[in-house]
Amino acid sequence: MREGSTDHAIAAIDLVRTYRTHTGVIRRKPLEVEAVRGVSFHVEPGELFGLLGPNGAGKTTTIKMLITLLLPTSGTARVMGHDVIKETEAVRRRIGYVFGGDRGLYDRVSAMDNLRYFAELYGVEPSEQRKRIEALLEMVGLTGREKEKVEGYSRGMRQRLHIARGLLHDPQVVFMDEPSIGLDPIGARELRQTVQSLVDAGKTVLLTTHYMFEADALCDRIAVINGGRIVAHGTGEDLKRAVANRTIVEIETFGVTTEAVERVRGDRDVIALNMEERDQSQILLVQSEQGSAITQRLLGLLGDTRVGKVVAREPTLEDAYVHLIATTSESDAAARAAALQA
Amino acid sequence: MEAARAARQIWAITWFNVRMLLASEFFVLITFIAPLIFATLGFFLFRSGGGTAGQTLLYVALGAGMMGVWSTTLFGCGGAIAWQRWEGTLELLVCAPTRYDLILVGQTFGAVVFGFYGIVATLAWGVVLFGMPIEATFPLVLPLSLLAAIVSLGALGMLIATSFVLYRHANALGNLLEYPIWLVTGMLVPLATLPFWVRPISWVLAPTWGMEAIRGATIGAAPPLLAIAMCFVLAVVYYVAARYMLVFVLDKARRDATLSLQ
Repeated sequence: MREGSTDHAIAAIDLVRTYRTHTGVIRRKPLEVEAVRGVSFHVEPGELFGLLGPNGAGKTTTIKMLITLLLPTSGTARVMGHDVIKETEAVRRRIGYVFGGDRGLYDRVSAMDNLRYFAELYGVEPSEQRKRIEALLEMVGLTGREKEKVEGYSRGMRQRLHIARGLLHDPQVVFMDEPSIGLDPIGARELRQTVQSLVDAGKTVLLTTHYMFEADALCDRIAVINGGRIVAHGTGEDLKRAVANRTIVEIETFGVTTEAVERVRGDRDVIALNMEERDQSQILLVQSEQGSAITQRLLGLLGDTRVGKVVAREPTLEDAYVHLIATTSESDAAARAAALQA
Repeated sequence: MEAARAARQIWAITWFNVRMLLASEFFVLITFIAPLIFATLGFFLFRSGGGTAGQTLLYVALGAGMMGVWSTTLFGCGGAIAWQRWEGTLELLVCAPTRYDLILVGQTFGAVVFGFYGIVATLAWGVVLFGMPIEATFPLVLPLSLLAAIVSLGALGMLIATSFVLYRHANALGNLLEYPIWLVTGMLVPLATLPFWVRPISWVLAPTWGMEAIRGATIGAAPPLLAIAMCFVLAVVYYVAARYMLVFVLDKARRDATLSLQ
């Protein structure tokens, strides 16, 4: 099928979005920021599609163009066959929008008041409203808490209320923009179950996240977005294949210096290095094609650094993601430097 | 069918907005308390000038009440947009299938209806503390005058709110509109005491005619039919202007990405 086919639930075709802003207060200089630079993808009906990328990659901007809140600078998109630029009302009737964070609810009234209000705005028939709200409260586990003011809700309860709100009018396509952000592990797991139940009920879901395991666990297909461009797409297994011949050496260090990290990064066999900060330690994730054979050499490069546990393992989707983001960020930085020099 | 749905949606939005305003200490203060303070000041100023006539007390009380109505309209309509932007709900309202002008109608009428409580409060205050007589020379016209004032102020509120969708700092401009409107629409002092060049400004402002319609029905010498008619005419003009402006404003907000800015 073509990218723009009306058979797709969602079809984005070469979407570009530029923001115009300025620097300075008195001497204002206009500034153009390219948030999305030619994004194309399609989502089939009933599919759970993940848009995975770091903060500022262009995920939210892409979603906002698809849900008619932002006009693309160029390119186009269709949702359930309707143009997001010209047929806004038709698109809005068919979509639900759920986002993460504390905003987007009326805190000073109850969850029930919020749902009733949005049910009216979403055109749910009065005879349907009560039944629908009760079913959704049951689905998101808020039955019995619906009369409490939202300002007293926990982060997880707010997120579940967000989901109920987004599903009030039984939309065909649900856009979820980082819904698990800030949730505790149990809340995030419950959210994943809810998302899965939406797909089981036949909904099309576009989910943005920067949690790899979430995308891997839930999504049928994933597009990795970085610097406003889609840098890879496919199933989780497809993405992992990009790093299939690699080994990841995890080295736990205590107080590692930048110089030591750079010495490891500079080793001829090291393809990528990522560092995770823990409470007292730093975990170096070193990618190479040499298996565990280079472990001793890496430890030597760390010099006097205190080292804890060292593990060599198979790559995960997270490693594939780190590889993709690191390589595309480097090439983007090189392109920007070349443009500046020119 | 569509009209019935639209009417039900407007009612639901209006009622929801009244409840939201009731939950706000700021709006309770400017709607319930501030008009009482204005009226008290007015009564004492009037007494120090030697006036005691019941009709003049009523004139002062109605003016003070309308000042409260205007404050609630201004901050309830303009502030509601800024506050919804802050709460992150503005984007959800804009991308809801309901036409946004209907949502604005409900929100602005919620604010105006809520604000009209100020008139009731100041009248009760005048009766209890200052022995003000409650009388209306045209009691049958008074409900129509009140309706005309509510409709015209609601439409003006919608026009204000429309511009506030676009500019996130517009509520700062709203603060500047409170006192001048009190002055040029005859709420604070009779229009006859103002310079002549102010009159054209007064004539295009709904609160002028709303104030005149209510005062005319309570203490006027003739039924305020012109004022009532002007309220409805201005309401239509404001609504049409707001609807056209809204199309432009929402398009610009989608282009400039200003809906989610705080």
